[in-house]
Amino acid sequence: MRALRMLGSSVGTKIILAFTGLALFGFLIVHLYGNLLAFLGPASYNEHAHELISNPLIIPAELGLVALFLTHIVKAIGNFGKNRSARPQAYGVKKWAGGPSRKSLASTTMIFSGLAVLLFVVIHLKLFKYGPVYTDAVTGNRDLFRLLLDDFHKPGYVVGYVLAMLIIGLHLRHGISSATQSLGIVPESWTMQVLRGGMALAMLMAILFAIIPIAVYFGVIR
Amino acid sequence: MRIHLTVWRQAGPNVGGAFHAYTAENVSPDMSFLEMLDVVNEQLIKKGEEPIAFDSDCREGICGTCGFMISGIPHGSQPHTTVCQLHMRKFNDGDSFTLEPWRAKAFPVLKDLVVDRSAFDRIIQAGGYTSVNTGGAKDANNILIGKDIADAAMDSAECIGCGACVAACKNASAALFTSAKITHLSLLPQGQVERTTRVLNMVERMDTEGFGSCSNEGECEAVCPKGISLKNIATMNKEFWKAVLQS
Ligand code: HEM
Ligand code: FES
Repeated sequence: MRALRMLGSSVGTKIILAFTGLALFGFLIVHLYGNLLAFLGPASYNEHAHELISNPLIIPAELGLVALFLTHIVKAIGNFGKNRSARPQAYGVKKWAGGPSRKSLASTTMIFSGLAVLLFVVIHLKLFKYGPVYTDAVTGNRDLFRLLLDDFHKPGYVVGYVLAMLIIGLHLRHGISSATQSLGIVPESWTMQVLRGGMALAMLMAILFAIIPIAVYFGVIR
Repeated sequence: MRIHLTVWRQAGPNVGGAFHAYTAENVSPDMSFLEMLDVVNEQLIKKGEEPIAFDSDCREGICGTCGFMISGIPHGSQPHTTVCQLHMRKFNDGDSFTLEPWRAKAFPVLKDLVVDRSAFDRIIQAGGYTSVNTGGAKDANNILIGKDIADAAMDSAECIGCGACVAACKNASAALFTSAKITHLSLLPQGQVERTTRVLNMVERMDTEGFGSCSNEGECEAVCPKGISLKNIATMNKEFWKAVLQS
């Protein structure tokens, strides 16, 4: 069918990348909410985690998330390869054009920031979701709060996490506004506002995520 | 003025090329960049050497035939200007430039600074047209179009097809060129008949020709002599998924 075949075209690929990217960003917002509960203490934090994990919809939701993530990665790598081969001979001299161009460190390093995020996600899952299981003596639920404290009293982990959040922030600094362009969902007159808003949102999210390990390390979360 | 040039010389398609250094003497500030090259070529011809091949036609900045990289930027660093309208008075005596052809798989080098841009023609052939009844010439304003729509369509129709967008893009993407035509025709009543097939056919052709995809960086808009906006690409993508859903 033509429609399906067209999804594999350059524009179709970018639309899929944008859709999956924004969906992953949506997940990150929900995830950030859960993380920030750490500031309210172990009870709220662990209870939220328990509610999530005991919800019958958690397995389909997790599978959906994995599917989004894998689709994004496979499409991004394929797209990168095709784009590379579109210019077999490099320029002797090439400069950034400046002016209305939005080319930035973020936009030129998407594949690297993306691959770094992938590496981070693997480590992150191993440390937390599939990490040591402590049990809360009172509720009998998993005590993830204790794991949080354990891990982020190690300065190496704090530095690693803050770095990873900066990289995700970089990916999304270009990614959010790029995705709205790829989907063509922004009214023309709003293009600049969405561009700036996307950048601000990416930075805000990275900072809020990064605050948590720092707060644990300095004993604000305890 | 004296201008120092490092120029890509390539004898023909499918052969190697290399940079060669030249000096243009007695350049008048009133000359365009191409006229400066004409002077260099006269000197080369007198010396019995092969002149530097470059494309040009109107030399008025309206036909889109001219264009090459000047020190890493298509058409040079002056915004909204083709090389034929770039004047030497913008530069200083003793300046140096590196001249290179557009580089893209879909734009093979024919000779020196000349590339084959017929891939653009084939994208237009795939859908950049409207079907109308032939016959006697229609009256002007037979079809009424609001001024705001006519203006917006004209903004997209301004593209002269020079290929600078492809040359500037890190992905050698033809998205700006293709989207300008799709946007132009999608705005006008005459473009409605082929609206859904047009976007699919043109995108398909763009891929077949070997252009890359758009990363929304906007280098293309920055170098476009006509200032075609990146918003055209957002419109193309919207037209695209609407067409996919409809087909
Ligand atoms: C939490 C994880 C991630 C989120 C939230 C995310 C989000 C996004 C978003 C919103 C975009 C913009 C799409 C567009 O340009 O239309 C994007 C693009 C991109 N993503 Fe991700 N991404 C994530 C993980 C990854 C991973 C693991 C990779 C690894 C390969 C990756 C590689 C890319 C690349 C290469 C692009 C740019 C595509 C282009 O230049 O056109 N991303 N991402
Ligand atoms: S020669 Fe016609 S635009 Fe430059």
